[in-house]
Amino acid sequence: MPFHDGYLSEIIGRTVIVDGERTTTVGRIADFVVDEPGEHFPKVSGVVVKTRDGKRLSPIADVVDVDRDGRFVVGRAPTTAIAPDDQALYLIEDLFDKQIVDVHGRKVVRINDIEIAQTGGALRVVAADIGLSGLLRRMGVGRIAPGLVERTPRTLIAWDNVAPLEDMNPAEIRLEVEENRLARLHPSELAAIISDLSAADAARIVRSLDDETAADALEHLDADTQRSILEDLGTARAADIIEEMDADDAADLLGDLPEEQQAELFAEMEPETAVELRGLVAYEDDTAGGLMTTDYVWIYPHRTIGATIAKIREIGPESEFVYYLYVTDHDKTLLGVLSLRTLLLRSPDTPIREVMETEIVSVSPLTPAEDVAGVIAQYDILACPVVDEQNRMLGIVTVDDAIDAIIPEKVKNRLPRFTQRHRRLTT
Amino acid sequence: MIGAPTSETTAPVRAARRLSFRARIVLFLAILGPGIITASADNDVGGITVYSQAGAQFGYPILWTLIPITIALVVVQEMAARMGAVTGKGLAGLIRENFGVRWTFFVMIAFVGSNIFTTAAEFAGVATASDIFRPNSHYITVPIVAIGVFFMVLRLNRKITERIFLGASAIYFTYVISGFKAHPHWHDVWRGFLIPTVQGNAGYLWMIIALIGTTISPWMCFYIQAAIVEKGIRARDYALSRIDVIFGCLVTDFMSFFMILCTAATIFVSNVGSAHPITITVAADAARALAPLAGDFAQFLFAFGILNAGIFTASILPLSTAYFVCEAGGFESGVDHRFSQAPVFFSLYAAVIAIGATMVMLFPTEQLLKLINFSQILSGVLLPFLLIFMLILSNKTSLMGIHRNSRLFNGIAVVTAVVVGAITLLSVYQTVTNPS
Repeated sequence: MPFHDGYLSEIIGRTVIVDGERTTTVGRIADFVVDEPGEHFPKVSGVVVKTRDGKRLSPIADVVDVDRDGRFVVGRAPTTAIAPDDQALYLIEDLFDKQIVDVHGRKVVRINDIEIAQTGGALRVVAADIGLSGLLRRMGVGRIAPGLVERTPRTLIAWDNVAPLEDMNPAEIRLEVEENRLARLHPSELAAIISDLSAADAARIVRSLDDETAADALEHLDADTQRSILEDLGTARAADIIEEMDADDAADLLGDLPEEQQAELFAEMEPETAVELRGLVAYEDDTAGGLMTTDYVWIYPHRTIGATIAKIREIGPESEFVYYLYVTDHDKTLLGVLSLRTLLLRSPDTPIREVMETEIVSVSPLTPAEDVAGVIAQYDILACPVVDEQNRMLGIVTVDDAIDAIIPEKVKNRLPRFTQRHRRLTT
Repeated sequence: MIGAPTSETTAPVRAARRLSFRARIVLFLAILGPGIITASADNDVGGITVYSQAGAQFGYPILWTLIPITIALVVVQEMAARMGAVTGKGLAGLIRENFGVRWTFFVMIAFVGSNIFTTAAEFAGVATASDIFRPNSHYITVPIVAIGVFFMVLRLNRKITERIFLGASAIYFTYVISGFKAHPHWHDVWRGFLIPTVQGNAGYLWMIIALIGTTISPWMCFYIQAAIVEKGIRARDYALSRIDVIFGCLVTDFMSFFMILCTAATIFVSNVGSAHPITITVAADAARALAPLAGDFAQFLFAFGILNAGIFTASILPLSTAYFVCEAGGFESGVDHRFSQAPVFFSLYAAVIAIGATMVMLFPTEQLLKLINFSQILSGVLLPFLLIFMLILSNKTSLMGIHRNSRLFNGIAVVTAVVVGAITLLSVYQTVTNPS
């Protein structure tokens, strides 16, 4: 069935027609039914069609197509009437506007809208919209000012954060995670949903995200999905998103693309970012150069600890990796390393020069990935600097990227999803 | 999808009936609160103003209108309280779940808007009453009251807050003393109260409309239901809670009776045949007018009553606003929480107080009166819709089970809704076409 994804508020009211008799309208979509609401992403089992003779139920298997005008095409006209004591969950009637409570039963917010999507081989409930854009859509603002709804940031809760529903007419919807973890759908969860979608739908979801969130989500996806999404997004938007990605992830992604496409993307980027990424892309994937990121924090030896901390706060480094600070001169020649621990423990007026570690392990950009991982393991370090022949800093390889490079792809795929989620909850 | 009617409620109610008299009294005292508080808050500064005007302009013969007004008040309050006890949800939540986002949004705009202005009116009452005790003292009293009511709700738990509110409700008794101090002609009082008389002039009609408008207001439906829910009163305790509601309405209108009496026995009597009749624009005018007629003590007592009502409702109205928005949006709400647990609730509460108090500090009284008129338009437009929503909701078997409206109750409620709805719309029309 070529229905990909959408918000229920936008789907209800759509016309239903029978395959082969496309000129006659059977009715309009009134609701969707779920038979087993206990699943993580519950499967939609049927469509409630409001016909002239009242509400009728169409099994989801009967829906054969959604045509260009958004009309639902069914194989045969729905005939099953809905019994008043029907034991099923009706998405709009039973879930819209319901109270969401957290693990402690505290009220969080109400459900504004529900997103369903074709994923995991079925049409499923994937997320609850709890944001302003959902409210605007419900109020019909989309028809008057579609741009306003589009521009309003979306706030979604992935449906697997919701405790399995047992009641078919739940008084409230209980979450399984703490409220403060729910501010937004986490990129890895978003990625999990996206990777189950077809490329066109995934691109549509990514398009609706801001650049930063989209970049986070893309980082969590496999190379094939990344590529196809980028193609659907168009060069300009793709370049914007790649710029927001971590440098090493961005380089990996670019490295997989044909040179022509690379050049187009580089042309759309800020010149500074483009130069940096070009440098990274040039290296082979399985070398230190290919693994490294240029997002690291470097400092000058003559400053004091206090001044350095102040400087770091002032510039607010983009790098996520702040556990080691690399001491360099104006040429970027690597002079020493300072751990975050030293920075915190030493008195603020000590010059960096006096406390930095000068016996440094480093690798060349051509060092194979396994050897880099070996060095990191042997010296028990969290990251290893990559330098050229003149001992000038090129970047660093962090321990997680080193591990990623040496663990076989199969093992990574075997990691169950809940492990990822658990990690997120405990960090 | 179709919820089973809640039938767990009948047995415990019967159990409650089996309790000893003493145990029932204790249980009643525990449940008592929301009904009395909401009804008392209904006699807010605007209420006192209208009752004083009624007494001053029409004397004792207008007293009988309190009987139908009380019935209407009981009907509306009881319906809201019952929905709260049976569903465990606030009225805003029920409206959102049953009528959707658009209606909720419409109600919210009108409700929040009118509440902000009405809160300003309460602060204006505080200001004028405090100026009677000491001229210009309101520049100090208004901010103190604003900060005081905010911290009361933020810092104290629900139980203590409720007791403070009950204390404020008891202070309304000053009007009874004022009433006696005014030495009314009791024979005429009883005649006016028990024998309905109708005057054919427009002024009289508008006065009755104003009386009903000030007594039945949207905020009280939301407030009583939220208070019942937060107190944890459930269907099985409802039999006792209903007594609280009815008792509260009776006590409140008992106070209203004496408010009318105060001005009827003094201002109305002195106005008869007078070349310069005393008119009342704000409640404090009534207090001032009492001084030459009934003595300084009566004046101060009356002013103290206004001050009390102003402070009391300057807390209740912002509370009902905060309850409404939180329930509609599904955010945590309630006096019993700490700020961090219900940040939206407390922020809204603070915001409404701050806006109301600031308006009083900045605008002169005449401009404020225009704003208050505007707020009455908003709430007048809202009320008919609200009553229809309440009627639909309280008749839903899936929501109310065996506690849905009985046929007799529906009869009274529909008549009330139609009369009140028509009257408020009329008064909206009057305010729009003749803004004075």
